[in-house]
Amino acid sequence: MMSSYLRNERQATRRRLIVATVVVVLVVTVDLLSGGIVRGFVRTTTSVVWGIGSRAMSAVVSSGFFSTRHALQSENQLLKREVAQLQSRIAGLEKSEEENAQLRDLVGMIQGPVGVTAPIVSSTRSSPYGTFLVGAGKVDGVVEGSIVMAGSSERGFVIGEVSDVQEHLSLVTEIFAPAVEIEASINGAPIVLKGQGGGNARGDTPRAVTVDVGDSVVAPSLGGRLIGVVGAVSSDPTDVYQRVYVRIPANFSTLQFVYVVPRPQ
Amino acid sequence: MSYLVLSKVRPALAVLGFFSAVFFSPLIPLAVMILLAFRYAAWEVLVLGLFVDLLWFTPDSTGGLFGVLPLFTCIGIVLVWSLEPLRSEFLT
Repeated sequence: MMSSYLRNERQATRRRLIVATVVVVLVVTVDLLSGGIVRGFVRTTTSVVWGIGSRAMSAVVSSGFFSTRHALQSENQLLKREVAQLQSRIAGLEKSEEENAQLRDLVGMIQGPVGVTAPIVSSTRSSPYGTFLVGAGKVDGVVEGSIVMAGSSERGFVIGEVSDVQEHLSLVTEIFAPAVEIEASINGAPIVLKGQGGGNARGDTPRAVTVDVGDSVVAPSLGGRLIGVVGAVSSDPTDVYQRVYVRIPANFSTLQFVYVVPRPQ
Repeated sequence: MSYLVLSKVRPALAVLGFFSAVFFSPLIPLAVMILLAFRYAAWEVLVLGLFVDLLWFTPDSTGGLFGVLPLFTCIGIVLVWSLEPLRSEFLT
C-alpha cells in the first residue's frame, strides 16, 4: 500500500510539472505576441556569456598549457605548409582580382551595395536550426532578409540570411541550414540544393550536365553571388540524375566577422 | 553510489544541458533532456527546451509546420509528459 508521504510527494511533483508546462507555454505565447522581447533578452545575455567563454577558451588554448612539445612541432609544420599554400593561392587571386578590376572598368559595372561588418557573437555549431548570432542589428541598418557574407561584398560568398533582428543583434539562418532549399546554378545549369547543416548541401542534376569538384555554385536569387563550391559528385549508371554535394568555401568555426549587405531587389 | 552523489546528478545534468546549448552541438542538450526525463520528473527539461528555442529559433511562416514549431520546447513537453507513467510505475 502506498504511503501517504509517497502519494503527497507524487502529487507535488506532478503539480510542479504542470506549473512548469504552463509557464513554458505562457513564455512562448508572450514572446510571440510581443514580437520577440523574451528572445531578444535571452540572446543578448547569451552572447555576453559566449563572448566570455570563448575568450577564456582561446586564452587557455593559446597558452599552450595542454599542448605537448611533439604536438606543437606538428602544428608548426602544418601551419608552415598551410602558409606556403595560401601564399601561392593569394598570388593567383591577386592576378584574378587585377583582371576583374580591368573587366569591371570595361563594362562600367556599378559598385556593390554598402553593408556593415559584424562580429559573430555566438557558436556557429550549437543551433539545431542552423542559425547563429551576429553583433549588428536595427541600429546598424540591418533588416530581415539581409544577406550575410564571409569576406567583402565584392569577393566574398553568401553564408546566410538575416531571419530575426533585434536592436544590436541579429539571428542569421545559414544558407545551407537543415531542410532549407535554395535555387542555385552550377555552370549555368539550375539546381535545387537542400541544406544539410554545417555549411553543406546536396542536390540532383541531370547527368548530361558537366559538374566537377571545385566548380562554383551561385544563387540567382541572391544577385548571382557565390554560395558554395562542389565538394563531390556521385552518379549511378542506372540513374538519369547525378547527386551533387556542395559546401561553403570556408570553415564556419574559423569565421569571426561577417559582412551584412541589403538583399538585391 | 552515495545519496550525496545521486542528488547532484540532476542539477549537474541540467547545467551541462544549458552550457552545451550555448557552446556545443545541439545533440548534447537533446541527450541531456532525454536522460533527465527518463530518470526524473524534471521541470528542467521544459526550461532547457524553451531556452534552446528562444536562443536559436525564429518562427518562419514560409517554412510550413516545421518553420513555426518550436521543436525543442515541443520535444521537452512530450518527453516530460509521455514518460510520466513510466517513471511513476518504476522509479518511485
